Amino acid sequence: MIQMYHVDKQYPGGAYGVSDVSMTLDRGEFAFLTGPSGAGKTTLLRLLFGAEHPTSGQILVAGRNVSRLSSGSVASLRCEIGVIFQDFKLLGNRSVFENVAIGLEIAGATRREARVRVWSMLKRLGLGHRMDDLPRSLSGGEQQRVAIARALVHDPLILLADEPTGNLDPDLALDIMDIIADAHARGTTVLVATHDPGLLDRYRHRRLVLEKGCLLADTYPDTQPGRVRWAASTLR
Amino acid sequence: MTRPGRRWRRFLSALRFGVRGVRAAPLVFVASVGTMSAGLVLLAAYLLLMLNMHAVLEHFGRDLRVVAFLEAGAEPAAPELASLREWLEADAAVAEVVYVAPAEALERLRADLGREAGVLDSLERNPLPGSFEVRLQPGSRTPEHLRVIAARLQREPAIHEVRYGEDWVEGYARVLRAVDGVGLGLGALLLIVLCAIVSGTIRLAVHAREHEIQIQRLVGADGWFVRLPFCLEGSLQGAAAAGLALTVLWGLFKVGVPLVRAPLALVLGPRDPVFFGVGEVGLLLALGVALGLVGALLSMVRLEESS
Ligand SMILES: Nc1ncnc2c1ncn2[C@@H]1O[C@H](COP(=O)(O)OP(=O)(O)O)[C@@H](O)[C@H]1O
Ligand SMILES: [Mg+2]
Repeated sequence: MIQMYHVDKQYPGGAYGVSDVSMTLDRGEFAFLTGPSGAGKTTLLRLLFGAEHPTSGQILVAGRNVSRLSSGSVASLRCEIGVIFQDFKLLGNRSVFENVAIGLEIAGATRREARVRVWSMLKRLGLGHRMDDLPRSLSGGEQQRVAIARALVHDPLILLADEPTGNLDPDLALDIMDIIADAHARGTTVLVATHDPGLLDRYRHRRLVLEKGCLLADTYPDTQPGRVRWAASTLR
Repeated sequence: MTRPGRRWRRFLSALRFGVRGVRAAPLVFVASVGTMSAGLVLLAAYLLLMLNMHAVLEHFGRDLRVVAFLEAGAEPAAPELASLREWLEADAAVAEVVYVAPAEALERLRADLGREAGVLDSLERNPLPGSFEVRLQPGSRTPEHLRVIAARLQREPAIHEVRYGEDWVEGYARVLRAVDGVGLGLGALLLIVLCAIVSGTIRLAVHAREHEIQIQRLVGADGWFVRLPFCLEGSLQGAAAAGLALTVLWGLFKVGVPLVRAPLALVLGPRDPVFFGVGEVGLLLALGVALGLVGALLSMVRLEESS
């Protein structure tokens, strides 16, 4: 579903966002992208949905060569991907409902279909009563859930989440991981960027470890229940 | 779901998105409409003035005729008259030619004099000349045309004298030329002002929308889904601004005209000043829409350059 071949991203200033990253994420997989702050997690996600262009290397997402897409094709790719942004990126002067419905509207869903989907998604996230409110009147946790609802309402092929539990108290963080796990269970391929050790300890998923832009390790958890061990499968 | 159906729904969604955007940020909309309509009031007032000036000339032109007097006391024979009439009617600028025989001219004079008509009885013979009254086509009722036609008639030996109220017509034409000259300068100035206003509102809209458009793109909006709401908003603003400007101007017209009726009569004559007709109102609304639309497209270009 996602393939990267020797991808470099060098920012105009000369700083490396990611450097020589190669990896593959299969359909239906769930992986964490971890590493310290500044390791290149956000950059890697932005490369995947076409918000950044790689300096060199190839990126394939859902069968499309992202490094070579026209802006129209980038738009249609983004319609099939759900992204949870670190800073939410909600439309400040639109209601919660409109913020969540926008992806469906862009994709050309009927009004009835959009209403039904948005409503049931918001209810599932405990936001049914905030549908007509503006994002700024919501708490940080509620805004985070609106961002998640928007990313998931159209049943995306792929979910890219950038620190979806950052700045949240642990209970809320677990709620949100449950929602993401739900989407995964329904077939969405998931890539979650996080540097939250609590989260990593709790869930036994594949981990891609970045540091200073390089992919240091690509590890799968031991399948034995109870004892979680990590086996390095790829070392540079 | 068929593809055309989906496309149509996306189109409607984009329009709805634009309408909701206007509702979500009514202040930006109102401010833009306000500033745009201020400029449009000036422009419409200017056009109204020009409209009335030209209506006066048009009105005057309906009564306008060139009178060609023949030699007095020597009425030409019928074939000669017929050939003269033919010659006059051959001119493309001429709409109608009426021959007034000396006897008829005398009858008219008699009617005009009324009780004083007795003085005419002492005349041994009719001293009045016959004349041709030439009315012109609407498009030719300008001082320039009049002068050309009068000069042509003057050259014809059978015609003794040509009259067309030249002083009045030429004085008026001078005034109109002056008005047109000042008007052209004023119009250019207004256009500059209007452009400044539109680009100001664009800056406002771009500022209000930059973040929103960035987010729209991130969640998969293509160029048209971003542009369409913007264009809709611009057209609505333009239409609303034009409507507001026309309403304000109409109010000023209704209140102001009775107050200045007397000085106005000096300029317009006995005619009442007229307001825009339905067609002109439609044109001004269309102008507002076009202005808003162009503004929106320009601001899109500016946005795409900046990102
Ligand atoms: N827009 C940018 N311009 C220049 N450098 C950037 C930009 N975004 C990120 N970087 C640099 O790229 C590196 C990786 O950043 P980022 O991808 O945000 O890491 P993470 O998300 O893991 O914290 C950092 O050194 C950062 O300073
Ligand atoms: Mg980051």
